[in-house]
Amino acid sequence: MANATLKPAWRLPGAALGADATLPFWRREPGRAQWLAIALVSLTAMFAAWWAATRPDGLVSALFLPPPIDVWEAFVRLWSRPYLGSTLGQHIGSSLQIVIGGWLLAGLVGLPLGIAMGWWKKARWIAFPIFQILRPVPPLAWIPLAILWLGIGNSARVFVVFIAAIVPWVMNSMQAVYSIDGLLVRAALTLGASDSQILTRVVCRTALPTLVAGARIALGNAWTTLVAAELLAATAGLGYIALNASRTLEMGILLVAMAIIGALGALFSIGMHLLTRWVAPWARAGVAA
Amino acid sequence: MSEVATAATTAPLVAGSAPARRPALYGAAAIGALLFAWWLATAIPGFVPSRVLPSPLDVVARFAALIAEPFSGATLFGHALVSLQRWGIGVLLAIGLGLPLGVALAWLPPLRAVVTPAFELLRYIPPFAWVPIAVLWFGASTTTQAAIVFIAAFPACIINTQLAVSQIDPILVRAARTLGAGWATSLARVVLPVAAPTIFTGLRIAFSNGWMALVGAELVVGKQGLGFLISQGQINDSAATILVGMTTIGVLGTLIDLVLQRVQRIALPWKTAIARPLE
Repeated sequence: MANATLKPAWRLPGAALGADATLPFWRREPGRAQWLAIALVSLTAMFAAWWAATRPDGLVSALFLPPPIDVWEAFVRLWSRPYLGSTLGQHIGSSLQIVIGGWLLAGLVGLPLGIAMGWWKKARWIAFPIFQILRPVPPLAWIPLAILWLGIGNSARVFVVFIAAIVPWVMNSMQAVYSIDGLLVRAALTLGASDSQILTRVVCRTALPTLVAGARIALGNAWTTLVAAELLAATAGLGYIALNASRTLEMGILLVAMAIIGALGALFSIGMHLLTRWVAPWARAGVAA
Repeated sequence: MSEVATAATTAPLVAGSAPARRPALYGAAAIGALLFAWWLATAIPGFVPSRVLPSPLDVVARFAALIAEPFSGATLFGHALVSLQRWGIGVLLAIGLGLPLGVALAWLPPLRAVVTPAFELLRYIPPFAWVPIAVLWFGASTTTQAAIVFIAAFPACIINTQLAVSQIDPILVRAARTLGAGWATSLARVVLPVAAPTIFTGLRIAFSNGWMALVGAELVVGKQGLGFLISQGQINDSAATILVGMTTIGVLGTLIDLVLQRVQRIALPWKTAIARPLE
């Protein structure tokens, strides 16, 4: 969860290390074109190995890993015909609806709460210890309680997603507001700014990158948690498909569900990175929560 | 200007000048009030049914009962031990593979180009999405749980190790080389000590990710463990059991991290990043 940011390999700071022509070739950073070529060959080799190993006379049983063509066929079939009551599009829609709903709800509560905790000492003194106590409990551990309280409907899943997302929302906004340079605030005061002007024009503006980073981490947590919640309490959704496919040994469907879960996770991460760059081009990273 | 602005202007600059006991008092009061509200809500008959939220006293009683007698196959300690064992296997495997691979990826750039596509394809799949396929591959066994822990912990190991080694100032390595050190010596005596604090941070993340993932895996499959305990609590309609299980999971997770912080301070005293505590 935390700190899971890997920069594209060609942009790692150590890339400079490879510029040294005295190094042997295996220590030298490949150029951009070389890098892409190697990556492409590696990717092709991977798929070729998958294809070769899963042929009827291959090493791997189709029950362990299905051939690529099976996965594609399962995808096409899922898309056009309903599986477990809905088409693939509807399952994706159900998952997205809950993850976005829970995430936004957590933001609606967590963002103002976090800003208040960063701004007012007493709010922090009161609320922070409560979060410190709740934080070590994994959001997933709330699932049984959520089911007991709310049944296996949508509300149980929204609740669990909310729990998973609210911690990064609160922690990042608190940290962002709390760690603002006091000189900035004093400068604004000297220039005659009022309290509300300082909060909106100085504090929230300066805190923006960390706030957005918190939103990104929250969305990642929300998605991870939703998948787990769908394994346990759902009547639709991608995790629900995956678990059912595993029980009925439909490996193609299982891999399609996993691939879509991964693709959407990647999409969220990339989308939030773009958003960060758009609203706060000067942004770096957030607090891992 | 009002009190609001003063608080904000002075807080970051003179942190700690307020009597140190005051924040703790506020915190204790808040937690105490919360516990009291919980007790009050369950003490008034018919206000909150105990099926939904048992009173704090019931939870303590349930805790004592779970320690004393087995529930769903083991006592609380038994379940915790099983969980810790699965967690240990998965995390040690992730470290054993992730550390060398992370160093190799940072040290040998062409290898990074080979591995990155596969890594990028797989890393966005959350650990729990592997549970259904892991069950098929390994059955409902300890291997499945350990595999999920491994999947959750491995990326943190590899990413942080790679980052730590890549960030080293190349001049340090060149200086070692100039002084006659071979590649192996520079790796062992220069690169690893400098990278160690960041690597250790990665390990801490790996340990905690693994612990969280284990709980999820145990909820879905298995016959023992803390995750299993709370799912049994749900099936038996016993909110008290769930709360005891959740607390145990949280406390153990915190203890694990405290121990690791301690280890980090003792083993790597030269550059242990200690976050500025919040006032």
